[in-house]
Amino acid sequence: MLTNTKDIEQVMKVVGTSPVRPDGVPKVTGQAQYGADYSLPGMLWAKVLRSPHAHARILSVDTSKAAALPGVKGIILGSDFPDHPFDYVGPERVAQNYWHMTRNIMAREKALFEGHAIAAVAATTSAIAAEAVSLIEVKYEVLQHCIDVEDAMKPDAPLLFEDMITRGVEPAPSKPSNISKRLEFSVGDIAAGFASADEVVEMSFKTAAVHQGYIEPHSCLARYGADGQCELWSASQGHFVVRAYTAKLVGMEIGNLLVHPAEIGGGFGGKTVVYVEPMAVLLSRKTGHPVKIMMSREDVFKSTGPTSGSSMTVKIGVKKDGTIVAAEGLFKFQAGAFPGSPVMNATMCAFAPYIIPNVKSVGFDVVSNRPKSAAYRAPGSPISAFAVESVLDILAKKIGMDPLKLRLKNAVKAGSPTAWGPKHSHDGYAETIQALLDHPQYNKPLGKNQGRGVASGFWFNGGGESTASVHINEDGTVVIATGSMDVGGSRASMALMAAETLGVPYESVRSTVADTASIGYNHVTGGSRVTYATGIAVVEACNKVIEDLRLRASLMWDTDIKNVVWSDGYAKPVDPSVGNFEPLSLKAIAGKRAVTGGPIGFEASTNAGGQAPGFSTQFVDVEVDPETGHVKILQFVAAQDVGRAIHRDYCAGQIVGGVVQGIGWALNEEYIYDSKGRLSNAGFLDYRIPVASDLPMIEAVLVEVPNPSHPFGVKGVGEANIVPPMAAIANAIENAIGRRMTELPMSPPRVLAAIDAG
Amino acid sequence: MQAEATVIPVKAVKVTFTAGFSRRYTDSIREFEVQAKNIRGVIRAMNDLFPGLGETLEEETSIAIDGVIHEVDYTQPVKPGSEVFFIPRIEGG
Amino acid sequence: MSKHHVTTVINGDPVEFLCQPNVSLLDVLRDELNMTGTKEGCGTGDCGACSVTLDGRLVCSCLVLGVEAQGKSIQTIEGMANGETLHVLQRKFLEHAALQCGICTPGFLIAARSLLERNNNPTEEEVRFWLAGNLCRCTGYNNIITAVLEAAREMRGA
Repeated sequence: MLTNTKDIEQVMKVVGTSPVRPDGVPKVTGQAQYGADYSLPGMLWAKVLRSPHAHARILSVDTSKAAALPGVKGIILGSDFPDHPFDYVGPERVAQNYWHMTRNIMAREKALFEGHAIAAVAATTSAIAAEAVSLIEVKYEVLQHCIDVEDAMKPDAPLLFEDMITRGVEPAPSKPSNISKRLEFSVGDIAAGFASADEVVEMSFKTAAVHQGYIEPHSCLARYGADGQCELWSASQGHFVVRAYTAKLVGMEIGNLLVHPAEIGGGFGGKTVVYVEPMAVLLSRKTGHPVKIMMSREDVFKSTGPTSGSSMTVKIGVKKDGTIVAAEGLFKFQAGAFPGSPVMNATMCAFAPYIIPNVKSVGFDVVSNRPKSAAYRAPGSPISAFAVESVLDILAKKIGMDPLKLRLKNAVKAGSPTAWGPKHSHDGYAETIQALLDHPQYNKPLGKNQGRGVASGFWFNGGGESTASVHINEDGTVVIATGSMDVGGSRASMALMAAETLGVPYESVRSTVADTASIGYNHVTGGSRVTYATGIAVVEACNKVIEDLRLRASLMWDTDIKNVVWSDGYAKPVDPSVGNFEPLSLKAIAGKRAVTGGPIGFEASTNAGGQAPGFSTQFVDVEVDPETGHVKILQFVAAQDVGRAIHRDYCAGQIVGGVVQGIGWALNEEYIYDSKGRLSNAGFLDYRIPVASDLPMIEAVLVEVPNPSHPFGVKGVGEANIVPPMAAIANAIENAIGRRMTELPMSPPRVLAAIDAG
Repeated sequence: MQAEATVIPVKAVKVTFTAGFSRRYTDSIREFEVQAKNIRGVIRAMNDLFPGLGETLEEETSIAIDGVIHEVDYTQPVKPGSEVFFIPRIEGG
Repeated sequence: MSKHHVTTVINGDPVEFLCQPNVSLLDVLRDELNMTGTKEGCGTGDCGACSVTLDGRLVCSCLVLGVEAQGKSIQTIEGMANGETLHVLQRKFLEHAALQCGICTPGFLIAARSLLERNNNPTEEEVRFWLAGNLCRCTGYNNIITAVLEAAREMRGA
């Protein structure tokens, strides 16, 4: 196993370079097919009727006028889907309850948010489908609604579920509420811990819900055949997961559903669940035609899961020398219309970068009348980090310590405890802090109304199930296939790892993503798991191929397999005593495959473990305009421990991309509701994500502390980078103008109000 | 005459649960010591103590073996004296 | 509503199609003409994923009616490469990793080409402001800006 960067430097030929990706030309020429780019003969278009009310009982739905419109071929309601028993199944942190999930796809008893799907119509043109939707008559009994998490927790709040009793509280409450769950992680004795502190800071924070903001709306095309076999083209982060959810929600066997992985136009966690797929499949079954559904941008904002808004209180105590002695956090998260906010992640990640002997971290998962939350890049961790990293900044100032040095003093490393149980298993955090301390710009002087802020962040990173296949073509070129959707260049990373393992040029490797019938199970492309887990599967498959290539060569040379080694892409005799044999290339061996055993190829599966978490430490320089409250980013430097960069440019790209999402989260993005609970900014004009003119070049610093559990030392890179930016910017604003912002986004009116408040 | 077998005690494997999980499934007891050579053995030992717990562990948790996170995998070896911590399974975005 | 017959030129080729007067050029390109390289991100002119040029002018095709194409010349992403030869911008986008998911890429390429036709030596700030109408959620814009500046440099022969 490779255990230090120096070993890696000596050995790697292609890993660590930045070649052009295999799917590059199709994507720059418009040929690549995304979810909405597929068509089939006889295809119908489907449109969805969505609730105009934030909270309402559905009294009746009359589709007769819509059904009578010429061109309308089929209409479905929630009741057309099979119902599921009310039961939480699966891992506690992400427990699925299909009773909830089917109602999230399409409402039954109640509309629980504006945008909640009520009915779907399939027609010969999208214009007819849209007209038919407007002809569906729904009688609603409008109910009081609640959106903000504190409002939803009030004792007199309107209830989304009249029978929701909070889980995780003993004894269980006697009255229902909107609090779906309470959870707690604690270690040590926080009362004693705070008593021993020299400085204690307690502060409350609020964050608004933000959307993942992928540019591609959800789209799919379904074709249900008369033989019960269905094909689905869908843009998702995981076509195997799409298959599993869709089959269960529609009531068909997984084996009868084949999902093709369309290219995906951004996901960030929001496309690890299904919305339109079950509707398309059901409509295709009902009408006997292929059915295409594409969400509008308005639908995406009104009906798909953003991450949670939150209300938090964090209290941290330190000694004069900077040792953190106690930490307490209360995290209340909006789950949306159905339970399942990422509050558990938030409570676990909040204090994870620091060695703290006394910690109590409590979380509440609260339902309210907005779309059900979905994963968004390190779900939950960026939110709790906003609070924790802000409080640490205040403490650093109180004790007169550089904020990076405060973090370094308490930084976890391999063997350090966590608040939620097992010890940390990897180094890397301290190295990200040191990278910034060593950065030439970190001590650059700043001007008037300018400030600098730092923050750190932690994310678990994932392992899990992946499968890869590797085949050698007759001409010696290599084809690899996985089931991991390519969101940011993973085809290239897989090809690099395969080329490195086999010892062949990158250009000789074709790297593909296969459908659910052509490769074994792959879990989602998310959770920063693909380069790690799918990479392990690719390398394992390549190693199996190498063993077989040695066997073929031994047969060709008529010698024992132990006399053959594989080196630099060739089979070679282990030493000259074996015989005078020229090295055999892949092409030479492939040419003799028929007589040595047939086609050369293997598949490998893994349920990968041993992944290392992601740590990122960042600093940002801002300038605040005291007349407008506008915050300009002058410079942003983000260091992240990536273990080993397989494709350097794509690795850096993940860091820059996550940071910029964090900048939008910090400065502009939020949902704005009117008094009726309807979304006022359901489009990109008023839901303001960063544009090119808002930003300077963002600097990514790749820190490499290899993970010995991965053949190339990889640590997942996708998510940890979005955890620190919001706090870093809040800390920079405080440094610039002496105002502590405790609410996100820190938009110009809010900053201005803070300046004026004095 | 038969020689007496010498029994060398093997250090137990320590099994730990989070507070929330233990409240739900193991009568609020958080730590156990079991004899096992691999995760299959650990799960079997816990299932003997709390029938039905084995399936829950397989479905709902990941494990950290001396801090290194793994999916629940029967074949994963554990050394005497290892700590096996059952943690809630993570999903990312 | 009956359809109108429209005659236009797309990527240098004469094209005819039928469309209703309330249908956007974006929908005509994608659904009538099967030219799905131009993408819909928002349908309201806020994201730039549907960028095309109309008689040399950079527009959001979701804000142009199909019937407005009558007698005009349209350039889409499908016309940017010349057979096997990529446009300099396309090459630079690949070399500089200026795409991650790639959904915004056709729009950026059309918009960037439009800029370089007007200004062959833009500053970084000019590039950022010209491209402010194209949203990217994946890359944070770093590499897109670099790719455009590098393409401009090569096109100038500098």
